[in-house]
Amino acid sequence: MNFSRLDWIVLVITLLLIIVYGVFKSRTSKNLDGYFLGDRQMPWWVVMLSIMGTQASAITFLTAPGQAYTDGMRFVQYYFGLPIAMVVVCIFFVPIFRRLKIYTAYEYLEQRFDVKTRTLTSFLFLLSRGLATGVSVVAPSLVLHSLLGWDITITNLFMGGLLIIYTVTGGAKAVAYTQQLQFVIIYAAMFLAAWWAIKMLPQGIGITEALHIGGKAGKLNVITSGNTEHGFDWKDKYNIWSGIIGGFFLSLSYFGTDQSQVGRYLTARSDKESKLGLLMNGLVKIPLQFSILLIGIFVFAYYQFNPAPAFFNLAQENKVKRSVYANEYAAATDKYHLLQEEKSKTFTRLGEALKRDKADEIAALRQQITEQQRQDERLGDRLAVEAFDG
Amino acid sequence: MNNEKDKVPLFKSWNYWYWLVIGFLVLLIVLFVFFTKYFS
Repeated sequence: MNFSRLDWIVLVITLLLIIVYGVFKSRTSKNLDGYFLGDRQMPWWVVMLSIMGTQASAITFLTAPGQAYTDGMRFVQYYFGLPIAMVVVCIFFVPIFRRLKIYTAYEYLEQRFDVKTRTLTSFLFLLSRGLATGVSVVAPSLVLHSLLGWDITITNLFMGGLLIIYTVTGGAKAVAYTQQLQFVIIYAAMFLAAWWAIKMLPQGIGITEALHIGGKAGKLNVITSGNTEHGFDWKDKYNIWSGIIGGFFLSLSYFGTDQSQVGRYLTARSDKESKLGLLMNGLVKIPLQFSILLIGIFVFAYYQFNPAPAFFNLAQENKVKRSVYANEYAAATDKYHLLQEEKSKTFTRLGEALKRDKADEIAALRQQITEQQRQDERLGDRLAVEAFDG
Repeated sequence: MNNEKDKVPLFKSWNYWYWLVIGFLVLLIVLFVFFTKYFS
């Protein structure tokens, strides 16, 4: 596929750097405290980056901008409960966990209740985290599968194997330091992608115009109330209320009882460093998530002036092109490209109308865009079904 | 027990930090409301 020598060099160096750096930084871990808690010596900023790195994965890179691209930015509301949960964790959880000098959140439950409670919660953690990690591993594997055309089982084993090497050999310190590096790489790459998408926009379309295009297409719906003309929509997943209430309990369970997070702030050298790492996470997380979603808006704006691929998974698309569905898929793809051209023309007219500030024209074009979006989504769903059936 | 190592950074107590985090959340929500309205 389109994987140049430079891409290979970047990929191999990044993976090697992450593993070698993590194992190198963890070489002093000689006992349980060192292996599980990094000798409780981490400063707050390592704790913060490690906490944020744990929350970020290839999924963040792939799905968050994709979410904004398809559904708009309202997903950011899901994080509104997080800062409140950080405060609660700092007040109630951190002092207890650190005073008892425990290694895991479940060890506390054994001291508070009994070994059965600890076993059950540990089991639930391992089960849920195992499934979640499976999804985190499959996301980069899908990218490699799409780019290189390798079998998905091989790319899964490759990505999962690399993870196991540095986490098992290095322990908590390796995880903390490699996550720092991963955090920097993931976010640098994402912002580079955003810059690239803006740079590729046609002449006369800058950041403001791109935002207006996203806004008129209903993608800049950062705050939604969940209210419709028929009253409150209880099935609406992302709105300010579900974000604050649901997001709070979700974050509380994640940061208060999930070892993948508790293990991060227990590595801090004091209560102060643990709290500071968590509170900084509470301050930074929402603006960061907002910026990631904004990338999806710029990609959306870019694809209103450039032909978007009918299906983003190239390996899967090639597979369907060789299947019995090939003719049907080709016909649907042609229709899709025609629709793309029409949409592109509408958006060019919208860009001009915005510059002239013609309210009536903007409203009419907005309606036209909404209809084209609907057709686009219907056709996109059909293409996805055909691609996976093929 | 409150030695130099555990001294709260910048503020007198952790409560100020907690209010800062909550206040920043409220500020962000207000800014997002304006952002949504402006670009819609």
